[in-house]
Amino acid sequence: MTALSDHAPALRQARSLRFTSDDRLPVAISLYASLFLAIALPLGLMFLWSIADGWRPPNLLPQAYTAARWADVLADDGLLRAAINSVVIAIVVTFATAIIALPTAWAMARFPFRLKRVVEVFILAPIIIPGIVVAVGIGQIFLALGLAYSVAGVILVQIVGTLPLMIRLMTAALETIPDDLIHAARSLGAGTPGIVRHIVLPLAVPGLLAGGLMSFVGSFEEFDKSFIVGAPVVETLPIKLYMYLDPYSMQLPLASIVSFLLLLPALIVFVIAGRVLRDDLMAAGMGKI
Amino acid sequence: MSMLEITDITKDYGASRALHPVSLSVDEGEFVTILGPSGCGKSSLLRIVMGISQQSGGEIRLAGKRIDMLPPERRDIAMVFQSYALFPHMTVEQNLRFGLRMKNVAKAEQQRRIAHAMEICTLTGLSSRMPRQLSGGQQQRVALARAIVMQPNLLLFDEPLSNLDAKLRDTLRHELVALHRRIGATSLYVTHDQAEAMAMSDRIVVMNAGRVIEVGTPLELYRSPRQAFTAGFLGQTNLLAVTASGRKAHLPWGQLVDLAEDAAGPGQVSVRPESIGIRACDRGGRDTGSCAPATVAGVSFMGASALYTVAIGDTLLKVSQAGGDALIEPGRTVALSFPDRLPLLEDRAPDREAA
Ligand SMILES: Nc1ncnc2c1ncn2[C@@H]1O[C@H](COP(=O)(O)OP(=O)(O)O)[C@@H](O)[C@H]1O
Ligand SMILES: [Mg+2]
Repeated sequence: MTALSDHAPALRQARSLRFTSDDRLPVAISLYASLFLAIALPLGLMFLWSIADGWRPPNLLPQAYTAARWADVLADDGLLRAAINSVVIAIVVTFATAIIALPTAWAMARFPFRLKRVVEVFILAPIIIPGIVVAVGIGQIFLALGLAYSVAGVILVQIVGTLPLMIRLMTAALETIPDDLIHAARSLGAGTPGIVRHIVLPLAVPGLLAGGLMSFVGSFEEFDKSFIVGAPVVETLPIKLYMYLDPYSMQLPLASIVSFLLLLPALIVFVIAGRVLRDDLMAAGMGKI
Repeated sequence: MSMLEITDITKDYGASRALHPVSLSVDEGEFVTILGPSGCGKSSLLRIVMGISQQSGGEIRLAGKRIDMLPPERRDIAMVFQSYALFPHMTVEQNLRFGLRMKNVAKAEQQRRIAHAMEICTLTGLSSRMPRQLSGGQQQRVALARAIVMQPNLLLFDEPLSNLDAKLRDTLRHELVALHRRIGATSLYVTHDQAEAMAMSDRIVVMNAGRVIEVGTPLELYRSPRQAFTAGFLGQTNLLAVTASGRKAHLPWGQLVDLAEDAAGPGQVSVRPESIGIRACDRGGRDTGSCAPATVAGVSFMGASALYTVAIGDTLLKVSQAGGDALIEPGRTVALSFPDRLPLLEDRAPDREAA
C-alpha cells in the first residue's frame, strides 16, 4: 500500500493526460454505469409501472402484475391507424426536409456571405421558439389557406420544426468538402448535376443520415403543432396516445405505456441505423449538432 | 506550334489586382514551369487556364481554339492539385474512372486507359485502396494518373510536390518529367521552388507580383539573367551596382571588369558566387596590389563547396569555391578574380545599393 502511493506521483507525471490501457476498465465501468443510470433504469421502472397492478410505497417492486392495460391500448384499432399515419407522415416529412435543406445548406456552406451567422440564427430560431407558438401562428394562416385539418397541413407544419436541425447538420457536413474536390470533379468533365450526384451527395451522407434520423424521430414524436393543425381530423400516434392520458389524475401506468410506444420508433430507427451504418459515419454526422 | 497561348490575362480580386496583363505560351510537348514566390499569382493564373476561376480580361487559346469562355469540363485540360483533391469516398480505380465516365468513354477503352495509367504511375495492386489508405507519394501518383487517363491536350500542375518530404520530392521530380516525355504530354507546372523548376523544365516563366518577369531555359536564366529579380530568385548571387563606360565598368570598390556590351552610366550586374575566383594571398604580401581590400569575413563548409563571405570595401560578397585543399580561415586577405563579359541587368540598382 505504501509502496503504491510512493509511486503514484511519478506514474501520474509519466503518463500525462492520455488514456492508457490501464484506464480501460475504470472508464468502461463508469461509462456503462452512467448509461445504465440514464437510460436502462428509467426504462425499466417505466416498464414495471406499465405492468404493475398496484404498486405502493414502501414496496420496492409491484405487488401484482397485469397485462390488461397493454391489451386495452393495443386492442384499439385506432392506434394502428394512427401509427400508420405517423409513419407515412414522418417519411414524407423526412424526405421533404432533406430536399429543401440541401440547397440551403449548400449555400450556407459554400458562400462566405456576410451576415451568415445572422442567417444561421434565423434558421435555427424555430428550435428555440416553442412549437405551440409556431403552431398557433401558422394555424391561423393554414385555416385561411384551407390547409388546416389536412395531412398536407400537418406535414408542412412539421417541416417547420425539422428543417432547422437538418440544415444545420447538412451545412456542417457540406462545409467539410474542400473546394478543390469540386474543382477537380469539374476539371474531369463533371457538370453541376454530376458533381451533386457523385461528389456532394455521397460526401453529405453522414449529415443526411443524421439529419434524416432526427427528422424522422422528430416528426414521429411531434405533438403540439400536429395537434393544433391536424386534430381531431388527422390523428397521429402522439395525438392518439396523449388522449389516453387523463388530465385530471396522473396515471403513471398509462403514461408509461404511452412513453414506451412513442420511444419505440426512435429505438427501431437508431438500431437499424447502427446496423446499416459504419460507426464513424454516424458519429461524423451526429457530432455536428 | 504553340499548344497553349495565354494573351494579356488579368485578374482582379475586388480592388486589388492579382494578375497584371500576363502572356505566355507553351509549345506542344513542352514542359514549362511558372516560378515565383508565394502570392505572386501562379495559382490564380493556373485556375484561370483550367476554367475554375474567371479572368478579368485577356484570352486563352488551346490548340488554336479559343477556350476562355468554355466551362472547365469542355476545355480538354486536366489538373493536378496541390492538395491532390482525390475523392475520399472512391477507391483508386473509381477515382481514375470518374473522368472517363463523365466523358462517356466506352467501357473497354476505360479499362485500357486505367490499366495503362496504373502501370506507368506504378500504382499496380492499389486499385481497390481508398485514398486515406495511401501514403503521400502514392496519393500524389493517383492524382497524376487521374489526370493522364483523360489524355488531355494540356496538363496543369499546381505545386504537386510541395506536400511531400524532401527525398520523395527529389525522386518524383524526375519520375514526373520522365512520364511527361513518355506520354508526350504538354505541361504547365507551377512551383515556388527554384531547384525544382531548374531540374524539370524546358522553359521557366519567372513571375513576381502578378507580372511575368522573364522567360527562358533554365540555363539561360541561371547563367545570364536579364532581370535582377531572376538573378536573385534562381540560386544565390551577388547584385553589384556598377558605373559603366564603354565596355568597362567599375565595381563599387573601384575594381574594373569587362562588360558583355557597350554601356554608359550607372547599372547593375549579377555575379554568381561560383563564378568568382578566390585565392589566399601570401603572408609575405608580395601581391598587395590586388589583395589589399578583400578579407574573408566568414566561411561555411557545404560539402561539395565552401561558401565564403568576403568583405571588400563596404560590400559583402558571397564567393563559393569547389574543391580546394584547405579552407581559407577568416581574417585572411584574398585575391578575387571576376569573369569576363558580365551582362548588365536591365533594371536600375536598388536604392540601398546605390546609397
Ligand atoms: N479568392 C481570392 N480572393 C481574394 N484574393 C485572392 C484570392 N485568391 C488569391 N488572392 C490573392 O491573389 C494573389 C495571388 O494569389 P495566388 O494566385 O494564390 O498566388 P500563388 O499561387 O503564386 O501563391 C495573392 O495576393 C492572394 O492574396
Ligand atoms: Mg499557389
